[in-house]
Amino acid sequence: MTETGGGGLANPRPAYAQAAYQDRPHPANLADILERVLDKGIIIAGDIRVNLLDIELLTVKIRLLVVSVDKAEEMGIDWWRHDPMLTVRERGLEEENQELRDRVEELESGGSKSSSSRQSGRGARSGQARG
Amino acid sequence: MAEQGRYLYAVSRGLDGGSLRDVLGLSESVLECVEVRDLAGIVSSVDLDEYGEAGLRRNLERLDWLEDAARGHDAVVQAAAAVAPTAPMRLATIFLDDDGVRERLTAQYDAISAVLDRVEGHEEWSVKVLTLSPASITAEHETFSSGADYLRRRRDERDERRDDARDAQLVAERVHEALVTLAAGSRRLPPQDAKLTGHTGAMVHNGAYLVPVARSDDFAAAVGEQAAEHLEVVVDARGPWPPYSFAMLDDT
Repeated sequence: MTETGGGGLANPRPAYAQAAYQDRPHPANLADILERVLDKGIIIAGDIRVNLLDIELLTVKIRLLVVSVDKAEEMGIDWWRHDPMLTVRERGLEEENQELRDRVEELESGGSKSSSSRQSGRGARSGQARG
Repeated sequence: MAEQGRYLYAVSRGLDGGSLRDVLGLSESVLECVEVRDLAGIVSSVDLDEYGEAGLRRNLERLDWLEDAARGHDAVVQAAAAVAPTAPMRLATIFLDDDGVRERLTAQYDAISAVLDRVEGHEEWSVKVLTLSPASITAEHETFSSGADYLRRRRDERDERRDDARDAQLVAERVHEALVTLAAGSRRLPPQDAKLTGHTGAMVHNGAYLVPVARSDDFAAAVGEQAAEHLEVVVDARGPWPPYSFAMLDDT
């Protein structure tokens, strides 16, 4: 994904050099567009109103997509892990560590019942996600 | 046919309506202008099944719908901003008819004019600073003497990444300071999630810069210099954008 190379920027690294500082690159990345059309621009009340508060609640997921995952995790929000629309294979180190710790605990205690308690524990966490 | 509403994309000043003839609005709708003195609200008809209150409530939750709407909205704003001073509206600003648009633009005439004064002759650039791609994935064949060993390794990797991000943050400050002197305004936006951008490093700076068109080349050169000077990070600049991040009414 990063080895695309080329480009007009003095920075020789491949990751972004090819896309950097081109004239009006299209398609612009989705995060850039969303953060502008959802969060910026002039707000005037139209006739069609999804109550602004509602809109903020509705789009809170999208806003969180624009904000970094780390920040969201700091806030204790992890709904995307359970959202089928957004499910991705890679997982956060924290969760992975937690699972490993759980597993070590499980092995040390010689039991296998904790796999179910782990699941319900995560379910409870996801229930806290707001929106 | 379902009931139609009028979707307002942006307000331009002194726009020659004909210059948007080749541009289509959402759902391939025809663009038209609703004029109030020297302002032109750029509108098109949209289906209220899709863009009415119930439709929006449903559709805003769907990332694919939202992406199409966002790109369609942006395409119109880009086209207008290319030919006239333009203040983009927030996504999904919708009226029942042109009278509603006219009434609202009349009421907000002074505030919108002030925004246009601020952004006229400027464009927005997005400059991000990212850490280099982390080689964070532990190779599958790596062996560990114990679970604790494995955990320790993972924790060290995480700490390293944190240190990298902190160093990159300092570099980002310097990049920002160099660029902001060439800009008429700047805003720091929240870092973006890699899942939407496809980047692999951690984003430590997501800046929006309002750059006078006359200084565009200087700004580009400064970005290039910063990128060359700071090879320990990725400096990613994109634009020009219409001045979205600087087109907020003063009272919002």
